[in-house]
Amino acid sequence: MAIVARSSKFSRIMWPTVAWIVALIFFFPIFWMVFTSFKTDADAVKPEFLFSFKPTLENYFNMTENYDYWRFAANSVITSSFATILALVVGVPAAYAMAFNPSRHTKDILVWMLSTKMLPAAAVLYPMTFLTKNMLGIYDTHFLVIVVLCLINLPIVIWMLFTYFKEIPKEIIEAGKMDGVDTWGEIKDILIPLAWGGVASTALLCFIFCWNEAYWTVRLTTTEAATLSKLIEGNRAPEGLFFGRLSAVSTAAVGPIIVLGWFCQKQLVQGLTFGAVK
Amino acid sequence: MSKRTLPRLLQTPAVILLLVWMIVPLSMTLFFSFIRYVLNSARRPEWTAPSFDNWRGFGNYEYVLNNKDFWFAVQNSMFIVVSILVITVILGLGIAVLVNRTFPGRGIVRVLLISPFFVMPAVNAVLWINMILDPVLGLNGVAVGGINNIVDGLRDWPVLGGFFSLWPQFEPISFRATQTSPYAVIMMVAWQWTPFAVLIFMTSLQSEDESQKEAATLDGASAWSQFINLTVPHLARPIAIVVMIQSIFHLSLYAEIEIVSRGNGNKNLPYLIGEFSSNNIGAASATGIFAVILANIVAIFLLRMVGKSLMD
Repeated sequence: MAIVARSSKFSRIMWPTVAWIVALIFFFPIFWMVFTSFKTDADAVKPEFLFSFKPTLENYFNMTENYDYWRFAANSVITSSFATILALVVGVPAAYAMAFNPSRHTKDILVWMLSTKMLPAAAVLYPMTFLTKNMLGIYDTHFLVIVVLCLINLPIVIWMLFTYFKEIPKEIIEAGKMDGVDTWGEIKDILIPLAWGGVASTALLCFIFCWNEAYWTVRLTTTEAATLSKLIEGNRAPEGLFFGRLSAVSTAAVGPIIVLGWFCQKQLVQGLTFGAVK
Repeated sequence: MSKRTLPRLLQTPAVILLLVWMIVPLSMTLFFSFIRYVLNSARRPEWTAPSFDNWRGFGNYEYVLNNKDFWFAVQNSMFIVVSILVITVILGLGIAVLVNRTFPGRGIVRVLLISPFFVMPAVNAVLWINMILDPVLGLNGVAVGGINNIVDGLRDWPVLGGFFSLWPQFEPISFRATQTSPYAVIMMVAWQWTPFAVLIFMTSLQSEDESQKEAATLDGASAWSQFINLTVPHLARPIAIVVMIQSIFHLSLYAEIEIVSRGNGNKNLPYLIGEFSSNNIGAASATGIFAVILANIVAIFLLRMVGKSLMD
C-alpha cells in the first residue's frame, strides 16, 4: 500500500504539470501568431528580436489598407450567417418530422443525408464551376456561397437537431395537438423553446464550419463574394516580408471563432461524430 | 391531409436539396469522365465542349491509370492521411488520459488544447509554413541557430570540446521542397486535429466504468496494464470513429496542400483534380470518380456504425 500512496503523491504533481506543458505547446502557434501581430513587419522577421521589440498596433489599424480586411470579413459574416439561417429553416422542420413522426425510412434517410457529406468535394469541382459560371451565371456571388455552405452543413445540422429533438418527450407535442395547435405552432411555441439550447449550439457550430470552410469558398469565388479563407489563401507566400501584418489579419480572422468554439466543445463531439460518441 | 403527409412534406425541402446537390454535379462528373473534353484544344475545337459525340469510353480512366502523377498523388494522399491518423490517435489517447483527471486549471488546459481545432485551415497553413517552419525567418531557423550556438559554446569546454568540435553545423530543413512539404502538411494538420481526437476520447472516457478500474487497482494491476486492458478496449469504438471521420476529411485535404506546396509537386488527389481541371476535364473527372470510390470505402464502414447507434 505504501508504494501506491507514494506513487500517487508523485503523480499528483507530475501529471498535471505534463498536461499543462502539453497544452501550452499546443497553444503556442496561436500565441505566436497573436504575439507577432504586435510587431512591425521589420521586427517580425528578425529572429534575434524574439521577445525584445516595441509592441505596436499599427498592423491592426492598417488591415483595411493592407488587405481590404473588412470587405472579406463582411463577406464571411454575411455568407456564414445566412447559410446558417437557411440551414436551420430547412433543417428544423425536417428534424422535427423525423424525430416525432418517424417512418420506416427515417433512419435510412438520415444515413443517406450523411453520405452526401462524405463525397469528396474535388470530384465535382469542374461540374460546379461549369454549372455556376457557364449555365447559371451565379459564380462568385454571395447567393452561391450561401447555398453551397448551407448544403454542405445541412446533414450535420439535421443530424444534431434530430438528436436534440429526440430527447423531448413525445407527450408534450401530443398534448399540443390535443389543444388544437397547428404544426407551425408546435414548432414555434413548443419545440423551439424546449430545444432552445440545442438549436442555438447547432447554429453556433454550423456558423463555425461555414466560417472555416476552405474549398468551395476558395474555388467558387474571385473577388465579389470572397471570404477570409480566400484572403489568407491569396497571401500564402509573403516570403517573410509581411509577417507582422499577416499575423494581424490572421488573428482577426480566427480570434472570434476560437472564442465561439470554446463555448461549444461538447456540441462539437456530437456534431462531428453524428451522435455516435456519447 | 392524412397523418403521414405533413411530416413527409416537412422533410421534402431538405431531401430534395440534398438530392440535387448530390446527383447533379456527380452525374456530370460521371458523364465528363467518359468523353473527350479538353478546354484548350486548338487542334480539335470540337473537344472543347461536352458532347456525346466525343465519347471515349474508359479512355480517360486508362489515361489516368497510366499517369505517373496519379499514382504519386494516390500514394501521397495515403501517406499524408495515415501519418496524420497515427499521430493524432496516439497523441489524442495520451492527452485525453492526461486531462481526464481533475487538477488545478483543468478548464484552462482544455480550452488551450481545443483551440487549434477552430483555426481556419488557410490560416493554419500560412502560419506554420511561414512563421514556424521557414528555415530563415521562422522559428525553425531560430531553433536550429540556437542549437548551433549551444554546440559552439560547448566546443570551448576543456575535455568534451574535442568531442563537440567533431559535430557539424546544423542546417534548418526547408519545408517547401517536394520531399519535405508532405511533412509540413502532416505537422500542421495533426496539430489541428489532435484536439478533435482528444475531445472525443475525453467524452468517451467519462463514460468509462470506474468501479472496474478500482477493482483492478485492488487486484494490483498497474496503471499501464489498466490502460491497455480496460481503457483501450473501451475506446475501441471512438478510435474507429476518429479514424474514419479523419480519413474522410483528410482525403479531401486541399487548402493546406495548395498553400504549402503550390507548384512544388507535392500533390494529393484533390490537388491533382484541380490541376487537371484547368484543361483536361475528362481526366479530372475520371480522377474524381476514383476519389469518390476511395472515400466510399471508408464511408460505408462509418455509416454502418453511425446507423447502428442511431435509434438508441
